Amino acid sequence: MTDTLKPENADQLFDALQWAAAEGQSFDVRGHGSKLDFGRPMQAALGLDLSGLNAITAYEPSELYMTALAATPIADIKAALRQNNQQMAFEPPDMGMLYGGEQGGGSIGGAIACNLAGPRRVQVGAARDHFLGFHAVSGRGEVFKSGGTVVKNVTGFDLSKLLAGSFGTLAVMSHVTFKVMPAAEKTRTVLVPGLSDDQAMNAMAAAMGSSNDVSGAAHLPASAAARSGVSYVSGAGVAVTALRVEGPGPSVEHRCRALTALLNEFGEIEELHSKNSADLWQEIGDAGVFMEGDAAAGDSGTDQIWRLSVPPMDGAGVVERILGETGAETGGRVFYDWGGGLVWLGLKASPDASHEVVRGAVKPTGGLATLIRADAGVRRRVPVFEPQPGALGDLAKRVKGGFDPNGVLNPGRMVEGV
Amino acid sequence: MTKIKRINDDLIGALRGLLGDRVSASEAVREQHGHDESYHEGHAPDLVVFPETAEEVSEVVKLCAARDVPVIPFGTGTALEGGVAALHGGVCIDLMRMNEIVRVNTEDMDVTVQPGVTRKQLNQHLRDTGLFFPIDPGADASLGGMTATRASGTNAVRYGTMRENVLSLSVVLADGRIIRTSRRARKSAAGYDLTRLFVGSEGTLGVITEITLRLQGIPEAVTTAVCTFEGVEPAIDTVIATIQSGIPVARVEFLDAVQMQALADYSDLDYPIGPTLIFEFHGTENGIAEQVEMVKAIAGDFGAPEFHWVDKPEERSHLWQARHDSYYACLALRPGAKGQATDVCVPISRLAECIQETRKDIDESGILAPIVGHVGDGNFHVVLLIDMDDKDEIARCKAFNERLVMRALAMEGTCTGEHGVGYGKIDFLTAEHGEAVSVMRALKMALDPKNIMNPGKIIRV
Ligand SMILES: Cc1cc2nc3c(=O)[nH]c(=O)nc-3n(C[C@H](O)[C@H](O)[C@H](O)COP(=O)(O)OP(=O)(O)OC[C@H]3O[C@@H](n4cnc5c(N)ncnc54)[C@H](O)[C@@H]3O)c2cc1C
Repeated sequence: MTDTLKPENADQLFDALQWAAAEGQSFDVRGHGSKLDFGRPMQAALGLDLSGLNAITAYEPSELYMTALAATPIADIKAALRQNNQQMAFEPPDMGMLYGGEQGGGSIGGAIACNLAGPRRVQVGAARDHFLGFHAVSGRGEVFKSGGTVVKNVTGFDLSKLLAGSFGTLAVMSHVTFKVMPAAEKTRTVLVPGLSDDQAMNAMAAAMGSSNDVSGAAHLPASAAARSGVSYVSGAGVAVTALRVEGPGPSVEHRCRALTALLNEFGEIEELHSKNSADLWQEIGDAGVFMEGDAAAGDSGTDQIWRLSVPPMDGAGVVERILGETGAETGGRVFYDWGGGLVWLGLKASPDASHEVVRGAVKPTGGLATLIRADAGVRRRVPVFEPQPGALGDLAKRVKGGFDPNGVLNPGRMVEGV
Repeated sequence: MTKIKRINDDLIGALRGLLGDRVSASEAVREQHGHDESYHEGHAPDLVVFPETAEEVSEVVKLCAARDVPVIPFGTGTALEGGVAALHGGVCIDLMRMNEIVRVNTEDMDVTVQPGVTRKQLNQHLRDTGLFFPIDPGADASLGGMTATRASGTNAVRYGTMRENVLSLSVVLADGRIIRTSRRARKSAAGYDLTRLFVGSEGTLGVITEITLRLQGIPEAVTTAVCTFEGVEPAIDTVIATIQSGIPVARVEFLDAVQMQALADYSDLDYPIGPTLIFEFHGTENGIAEQVEMVKAIAGDFGAPEFHWVDKPEERSHLWQARHDSYYACLALRPGAKGQATDVCVPISRLAECIQETRKDIDESGILAPIVGHVGDGNFHVVLLIDMDDKDEIARCKAFNERLVMRALAMEGTCTGEHGVGYGKIDFLTAEHGEAVSVMRALKMALDPKNIMNPGKIIRV
């Protein structure tokens, strides 16, 4: 167990980093630690626990933004927003189940640092697109802020976008400001049962290409659908393709009708109402339900989980190729989000996480693969993030050097030795 | 300004060897490449080169880097903060000969272009695909320049800015190496978001040689309405309430009475002269009808003005072209004057207050300055029409602009919503961001240690 520092406010955070920069120390940085197993195992001397930085510091619903200390629980933020009928449109997923922690954990800073977004990604973009500004301390021990509260600004380099998805390797954020939006009055989900993966990609493309403002498009092959907690989905007995429509009541109804008409040729259409829709899309965003093994059936579950980003129309082909090459005994569990552009794939544990097969299948499509879950030994050997060769990798190192030249923050979390 | 004197026959010879007659030292070409469309003083580069491939750009940068000679990328030169001025001399790289549309992927709704393709050229090309590219600064700018300045336009409320719509880039770095920032899959998580590091970097980190952009489906239905109000306040209050209720309007533009008069004169626009909103809705017939009802109800609460529906496609494109030409319409209000377009952006809830105070300040300063803006984003421009021979007027405009920026910053806004920093707003950047400027400087030094990429812009090294 390494020693851990726990700053209680932004000033103490600053002191901790100044000290570390001066003393050549290094930290593994955590909000609630809910995603500590996302990324490579770190080689830091000390822990930096931000959980003391917990408060919403600015929230006026009419302003359409919120500022919070970095380790404020997402659950608290959601509760405050719900009271005002607002939401974080990027739907930060809850990774509790995936990482064997508790559901409902996770901090806002962690969600932004990992650039995590849920199913609405196809319509409203990633976490970073909702991230307006921050206060942070760099690995050099400099306090700085960037961005602000407005939706548009062009004041120099886009540091917010750089910090989103940097996994705490560039700077430690103390405050984050992000967009909040009115929650939709009504949500419906159009379900198309029984499609093959290929057919589903086409159906989702047709729906997304229409003017119906689809805000979620996922495909659950039969084995995944059976695991859903939503009875309409698990009871279907076949694959289920789901399309979400949100907005004011009448508009949702007529868009559902338009989608039904559009997708009729693919099969018998069903609809989910608000509560079931909310549950289903939460499951899809969090992914855990579809990835875990069924203990009752004596199945210990899948140990290694990949998240593949591919051009939407290529998803099904990539999965076919991977499962074909790894063999049936890998027990592939799979489902598709983001209209097919995001593939969740669980494989039985192997010492190299089948990474050559997985990356070999993804590469020709121009996609990339992230090893979301595997034990520490595997994550030390196998690149968790898609390797960046040559000049691109050098550039990333230079960016790291610009913020954290001495490797104070999360050493090795993204790339070995960086 | 210190001029770097390393442009010698050796460099010129090497460039000629590489590009033949696509190297120019002519006075006229240099002068034309030294300034943009703003009032900022121009600085001509020593040479202008016209590469046709990324490899040629890479070779040019290598030749310059070996001699510590500055490199300044140039698109259509329509920017407004002096970004292309060769403050320290050097070689201007004009990218307009790289104007090929490389690949359209209709299924995945993206397109890859070279930097010299302009936004209108792209949309012309997409005409039969059912897709379009929504970012539309007033000028028919190059997509390379738009990426470099992180441009936006009238569609940003619904479709975002260049920040949200650039998927991937090829860039020639300061040492001449060419990189591709990400692969074709949009939702990448391979490492730092290098794509967006270059979006808005104004040529200070590298030369953009290829851009992959997200496209949008042409909406099934489009409705446009022009709405004249009794005063500025009810107009802006209507915008605020519309945005706060989450109605997905595609465009909402504000033009004050002076600006409407300018458009009537310059573009023969025939609407009442008064504070005006132009709304546009994109979607399905039913969806739009519903949005229109909601916006009409809101406008009703603020004095219920008439909505003038613009249904005919020709009438609609005339209206938007007039809006896009508003800067030129302003210049025509005062022939001989130069324009200074301010660019603050404030949180939407503070917009009415900010515009009111600014209008009052314009009147008290005795300057001619229409207001026009992408108000759905909280962004508006005051176009100061300045007689550059009148020292007192220049001083008054400068003081006015400083007050405007400070007012926006006090409201937690920004000095620039879309035009960028160039060399015109460097000092405001420090006022707005303080320490972040030194972080940006560290980043600049890490990526361009010799400071040859468009030196003197965004930050001073
Ligand atoms: C009438 C008018 C209306 C306008 N309206 C808007 C508006 O609504 N919204 C808006 O955002 N802007 C607007 N602008 C500003 C301007 O059009 C934009 O900033 C545009 O993006 C500039 O593109 P450009 O090709 O002209 O770039 P240039 O002026 O040629 O260059 C701008 C900057 O980008 C750099 N650069 C250019 N090409 C490259 C490249 N390939 N690689 C790296 N760096 C490069 C240059 O070095 C320079 O620093 C308007 C301007 C005018 C004159």
